[in-house]
Amino acid sequence: MSLLAPAFLAGLLAIGLPWWLHRLSSDNPNKQRFSSLMFLEPGEPRRVLAKKVQYLLLLALRIGVLVLLALAFAQPAIWRKPTAGDGSAARLHVIVLDVSASMGYRDRWQRAVDAANDVIGSLSADDRAQLIAAGRSIEVLGSPTADASVLRQTLNTVKPGVFRIDYGQTMRALDGVLRGANLPVVIDLVTDAQQSSLPTRFGELAPRRAAELAVHDVATGTADNWAVDSFGGSALTGELEAGIRSFAAEPATKTVKLEHNGRVVAEQTVEVPAGGRAQARFQPLELASGGNRVRVSVEPADGLAADDQRFLSLKRPQPRPVLIVAADPKGKGPLYTSAALGTLAALALTPEVKAPNGLGDKPLTDYSFIVVTDAGLLGPAETTRLQDYVQGGGRVLLAFGPRAASLTTVPVAGEALKPGSQLGAAKTASIGEVDAGHPALRGVDELRSAKFTRYLAVEPHADDRVAIRLDDGAPLLLDRALGSGRVLLFTSSLDREWNDLPVQPVFVPFLAGLANYLLGGAGFTSEADLGSTLAVRALGLVGGQIFDPRGEKALALGGGDDVLLDQVGFYEVVGGGNSELVAVNFDPRESDLAPVDAAALERWRGLGMRASDQAQAPSAAAAEEPVARSLGPWLVLALLLVAVMESWVGNWHLRIRRGLAA
Amino acid sequence: MSARTAATHLLKPETLAGLANLDLIARAVVEGFLTGMHRSPFFGFSQEFAEYKMYAEGDDPRFVDWNVYARTERTYIKRYIGETNTRLEILLDASASMGFGSGKVTKLMYGKFLAATLAYLAARQHDAVGLIVFDDAIREHRPATSRSGGLSGVLHAIDRAAPAKGTNIKAPFERFREVEKGRGLVAVISDFYTDPEGLLKSVQPLAYQGQDVILFHLLDPQEIKPVLKESALLEDMETGESMEVSPIYMSSLYRERIDAHVSAMHKSALGAGADHLLVDISKPLDDVLRNYMTFRHRRG
Repeated sequence: MSLLAPAFLAGLLAIGLPWWLHRLSSDNPNKQRFSSLMFLEPGEPRRVLAKKVQYLLLLALRIGVLVLLALAFAQPAIWRKPTAGDGSAARLHVIVLDVSASMGYRDRWQRAVDAANDVIGSLSADDRAQLIAAGRSIEVLGSPTADASVLRQTLNTVKPGVFRIDYGQTMRALDGVLRGANLPVVIDLVTDAQQSSLPTRFGELAPRRAAELAVHDVATGTADNWAVDSFGGSALTGELEAGIRSFAAEPATKTVKLEHNGRVVAEQTVEVPAGGRAQARFQPLELASGGNRVRVSVEPADGLAADDQRFLSLKRPQPRPVLIVAADPKGKGPLYTSAALGTLAALALTPEVKAPNGLGDKPLTDYSFIVVTDAGLLGPAETTRLQDYVQGGGRVLLAFGPRAASLTTVPVAGEALKPGSQLGAAKTASIGEVDAGHPALRGVDELRSAKFTRYLAVEPHADDRVAIRLDDGAPLLLDRALGSGRVLLFTSSLDREWNDLPVQPVFVPFLAGLANYLLGGAGFTSEADLGSTLAVRALGLVGGQIFDPRGEKALALGGGDDVLLDQVGFYEVVGGGNSELVAVNFDPRESDLAPVDAAALERWRGLGMRASDQAQAPSAAAAEEPVARSLGPWLVLALLLVAVMESWVGNWHLRIRRGLAA
Repeated sequence: MSARTAATHLLKPETLAGLANLDLIARAVVEGFLTGMHRSPFFGFSQEFAEYKMYAEGDDPRFVDWNVYARTERTYIKRYIGETNTRLEILLDASASMGFGSGKVTKLMYGKFLAATLAYLAARQHDAVGLIVFDDAIREHRPATSRSGGLSGVLHAIDRAAPAKGTNIKAPFERFREVEKGRGLVAVISDFYTDPEGLLKSVQPLAYQGQDVILFHLLDPQEIKPVLKESALLEDMETGESMEVSPIYMSSLYRERIDAHVSAMHKSALGAGADHLLVDISKPLDDVLRNYMTFRHRRG
């Protein structure tokens, strides 16, 4: 036991007062003067003793009042390790409600509510319970409480969402919640136990802390479901194609409808085989200028309506000429670059390959951006023209090639070059540090698969932003703003002479990202994942706003400008005089309602630790962190009792003191 | 309020205690008492002529009948009824125990009222009044005299009396026997916390001398019928000794003992030829005076 406010023990000094008064009283007992003792006899010793005992009792009670008062202020507390073997069967039931989209299938949510109510109803008087909603992330719905009405009231406010749950992530997130628990924990996971929500490793299903695990499976029987799992097409041709996936044991006939800007423009019937897939191809759609809202849906609706539709944002592109400067316009050098840029239909780029002396054929401002495949090709005149172009707002992608080996400074940008690096076949370099936050590299993965045999070592300028470094630390991609324009410097080649990047699958997305960045974000992706974030600033739009599918202004997270995409449909980004549409679709993995098989479910349940064993678990936070149980209420109760007794005995004592009746 | 009621009211000890003037107290008591007694059997007690007596040394010359002297050239003193016993000696106990009183009036205060009243009454009848104040010794002695100013001296002596030490009942009687040889009235005012046998031995010689002795036995109600709610430590006012006593004892055995003591005192007094009068100091003085007058009349 310890005292939370030991300074108040100084109040015990007050005990001296009743002690002193008692001594005075003892020195001056109930003595009365009487005429003569001639006819008196001493009283019975028993009575005298009783009176003395009464005095002592009164003194003890008065001291007791002061001691209890001082102790009550000093706040004594017993530090206890809450263990299951301490005579208390109290538990903390953490009721985790799966609020993923699949819980909205038919009556699963009602069964989940019933299961949660059953858990609440089974709580003993000492038990506490806490509700947690688990979807994309976990949301703690109030503090642990023993009040069933509060729990039920909170339960009624929860509804399934549109996100997918990952059980592994859920268990990891629960770790933070369980850390503060001071009772043995029982995790009551109320879920439909989707197979598709299992983590890669089965062990991740175990609670990170000592806790009993009870999985309440609310999925019953077979769960037939059909979903639109893909929807895409060409913005150039207007051809669209949708994929319908069956998660049913029987084949079905489905009607697929195509809506364009809110109007049904096409409809076709498809036969979806059991557990199979069907494609629905539509005639080319006449796209309007600007953004086009295209939606495909499948009918009749099934038990899970959220995945019966899919959205696509299409923007009819305007042809954008791009100048590629190469030594031999018809050679292999510019081939990879022009071919890659030409495949970016969404950007509608029209590559135009020219030799350096052709830069003066027409104004450079006619090009959306310029790619120089070998900076060594540029003479002073070309360099000056390009500098003027960049200063005026033009964008240039500079790469190196054989001609650049003799350069000491980078044309246009002006960075110093170190002696050339010839790594040779025996020793290659790969991608090292990547600035994932750079807009040109968003969505670009697997860069590390490329091998680099040569590059030119550039001394970065103070204004340069190094977006990619090789694993030896040398810059591979540098970004620098010059005047009103921008220069991207790739320190290796864009053909296969110095690296194998052009033959890697990542080459086209890599060039797409660079092109998109050089275009100023005008061709940004029109699709985003549900649960991801979208920022106006990152899109290159200034002072813009984001509106959610309901047309309401989306609120940014945590005071920043990142908006959580938590609805399916079209988000509209407005800013800088432009408007862009972002289609957000349902996670197709959530459409698979197949439950975990019974054996796996049993093994999952077995991953928990019985509450009675939790006290011995070295990792149990409750066992490690004793909690203080205040003795204050008991002290106050005792204080009241002693005070009443003191009053009664004191009154009796005063009667003694009055003695002879007046 | 009738005169009788008013007089009775005035004689209450608490009322007298508020007067704070012993002379005034005595006058108030006596005059009030006599007013109420005007139709009593003691009516002839006052100024009725009884006989002539030859003047002797010590007699007040104011009472010489000069008419008789003119005719006979002999000095005679005119005597009245009630003047046959001409001396009252008051023995006032001023021991510490007399300082006890459960109310406003202590036994000594009551005794002083009584002594003053008796002295005033005697002086009003031209009796000589003497006073002995005692505790364990003689503290003040004023021989009996009927001279002018004698009463004042007695009253002052009574007023000075204060509770002091223990009680020695033998001392005043012995002194009295030494100085007073003639017949007279002797009023002893005390709480008589003494041995009845010792009292008998002290009073008996006076009776043999022809003195008429009356013992005013003053007791507080709390001494007669004490009420003690709880055990208490009682301290003897004379010796300072303490004793823890229980209420049961005080309400039973003590009462029996004090009653036995009072009875023994009464019996001893009678055996010695004296009167014994138990006086509850919470009662008015007129009851005491009435008893005294009866005693005076019987002895006179």
